[in-house]
Amino acid sequence: MELFLFALSLGLYLVAAAAFIVHVTSGQALAHRLALVALTAAFALDTFAVVLRLSSVGVGALGTLHDQLSLLAWLIVGLYLGLQWRAPLAVLGALVTPLAFLLTLSSYVVFSGAERLPAELDSAWLPAHVAPAFLGYAIFALASCVSLVYLLRERQLKAKRRGRFRLPSLETLDDLNYRCVAWGFALFTIGIVTGSLLAKAVSGTFWSWEPVQVLSVLAWLLYAALLQARSMGWRGRRAATLTLVGFALLIVSLISLNVGLPHGRSFG
Amino acid sequence: MSQPDVLIVGLSHRTASLDVREAVAFADDQIEDVNRQLRALEGVDEAAVVCTCNRVEVVSSTRHGPRVAEAIAAFLRRAESGPGADLSPHLYQYWGREAVRHLFRVASSLDSMVVGEPQILGQLKQFYTRASVAGTTGAVLHRWFHKAFSVAKRVRTETGIAGRAVSVSSAAVALAADIFDHLAGKTAMLIGTGKMGALAARHLMANGLGTLIATNRTFDRAVDLAREFQATPVPFEQFPRYLPMADIVIGSAAAGEFVLGEAQVQEALRERKGRPMFCIDLSVPRSFDPRINALDNVYLYDVDDLSRVAADNLGERAREAEKAEAIVVDEVEAFYRWLGHLEVVPTIVALREKMEAIRRGELQKTLNQLKDLGPRERELLEVLTTAIVNKILHAPIARLKQEDRRTETFYLDAARRLFDLDDKDDA
Repeated sequence: MELFLFALSLGLYLVAAAAFIVHVTSGQALAHRLALVALTAAFALDTFAVVLRLSSVGVGALGTLHDQLSLLAWLIVGLYLGLQWRAPLAVLGALVTPLAFLLTLSSYVVFSGAERLPAELDSAWLPAHVAPAFLGYAIFALASCVSLVYLLRERQLKAKRRGRFRLPSLETLDDLNYRCVAWGFALFTIGIVTGSLLAKAVSGTFWSWEPVQVLSVLAWLLYAALLQARSMGWRGRRAATLTLVGFALLIVSLISLNVGLPHGRSFG
Repeated sequence: MSQPDVLIVGLSHRTASLDVREAVAFADDQIEDVNRQLRALEGVDEAAVVCTCNRVEVVSSTRHGPRVAEAIAAFLRRAESGPGADLSPHLYQYWGREAVRHLFRVASSLDSMVVGEPQILGQLKQFYTRASVAGTTGAVLHRWFHKAFSVAKRVRTETGIAGRAVSVSSAAVALAADIFDHLAGKTAMLIGTGKMGALAARHLMANGLGTLIATNRTFDRAVDLAREFQATPVPFEQFPRYLPMADIVIGSAAAGEFVLGEAQVQEALRERKGRPMFCIDLSVPRSFDPRINALDNVYLYDVDDLSRVAADNLGERAREAEKAEAIVVDEVEAFYRWLGHLEVVPTIVALREKMEAIRRGELQKTLNQLKDLGPRERELLEVLTTAIVNKILHAPIARLKQEDRRTETFYLDAARRLFDLDDKDDA
């Protein structure tokens, strides 16, 4: 049942991604509408799937890579749809939707049944850590998509070529990037604090030089520096590049969380 | 000839130079009078004159052949003021489908000097309204013009024909919109008093620019320019001090040396905390150091760059125009089918057929339920229903037959619409 839902939402993501790309390259309004409808439907399905999964496996479900990836896809799409109300940025959809598709696809590939977490991880700190951390990841993912569009836009303007499709202004993108990073940073900070509390509860120590801890703190420092440097004139291209670097660190940390160790578990 | 046909006689930028067009152009307060005179011409059923700086055209409907076109052409020749050169080589006439297509193309801005420019549709609407107020239009022109407006709207929404800037000044505004969210609250600095710069500034102001600062080596001229644009004049020696305020810098000085250097912009950026700057160098030779473009968050465009953007867009428009032509062709057929139906005899036949079909259908339904009726009763029912239909149709058909040519199309159109005689996909 769950797998069927995932497969269905996967198909909808594909439709939405294709429609977004058609809309961005040809400007067809119908494609935009189709993309939004398909994406909303996929999101509704995913919401249902997430609730189903949580009720059948419990909070422990958040420990498997399968669930982490699909949770991330769900959050990213939810955030994008929320953002859509305030600033309709179809080009962002053309990036976010394939990303959600890939995340859902990978989660489908690594699905290994209803794994249970090691009992010692079943702490009240787990949801308190995972919820803000993953919301932070999702917002950073959105910021990265915005940054990619910014870099594309910036290159066009510097090279004095105007692309075939309409993109939002640099100012809009830079501003959105800043706001995403600020929100992502706040949530990520909470995630790191609750993560170390979780580590304390699980292994008796706040800090244990695990790759995920080190990389997360590195990314945290980078984003902190990015927010600080903005007031000194680090905007635009540099800010966009740093956003992407920070996100790359986060991806590596998320992967390190799930590979290498015997049952792939440790929390930062 | 009983079927109305459509006709356009006139001249445009494609056939006549500006001085010829000027000689024919009607004064604004004459338009109503001209419409009435045209309508009074022998054979003209409906008429509306369209008179813009790029075209003078008489849009009309008639039931009489070529001599009507000749009468309108003669009218235009009489209207010509000035040297009295022969207008004939400049005049064109379109009949039927060609005329329909021409009006649709004009409305869609496919026949404009700058393809895709948006003004023509408004002008067309205005001239149509003036003709209807003068009472010189009827069912055909009504339908024709409104169809033209809706075709133009379709072209606008379904193609990118009007989407892109095609002049240097509008390219500058479009690029500013690529960089900045909106121009309100933004400040531009105009260095020099060149024509191109002033034009770009005017475009930016028209698009909501917040503040304009003007500077020039001769301060008096900066003051003059500032007065014209309600800008703030600044002495040339002091402009670097104001540079950090400028989101947009327009260079329009024939200096022969760079008035804006890399170091100045770098300094301004530092003070702007990296907020982006758009530098537009409209001087020839250039007056901004080209190395400025290499700085982060600064975008420098010179005249050639802007012309290239405009030319690219023009090419883009040409591609979109092909899509638009296809839409026009589509719509011409639909309209022409409708026009072809505006004839008395076919309309009466269609009306009778429609009523007869209804009568038969309903009668059959009743007879199916009254299975035990004898042949006499059946015949009586047949007679009764036929009589009802004939009585109902008698007055409208008599009316259609009696109408004079001025009002006939109106009644024909009304009958076709009220009784739903046309296919759904016709105009």
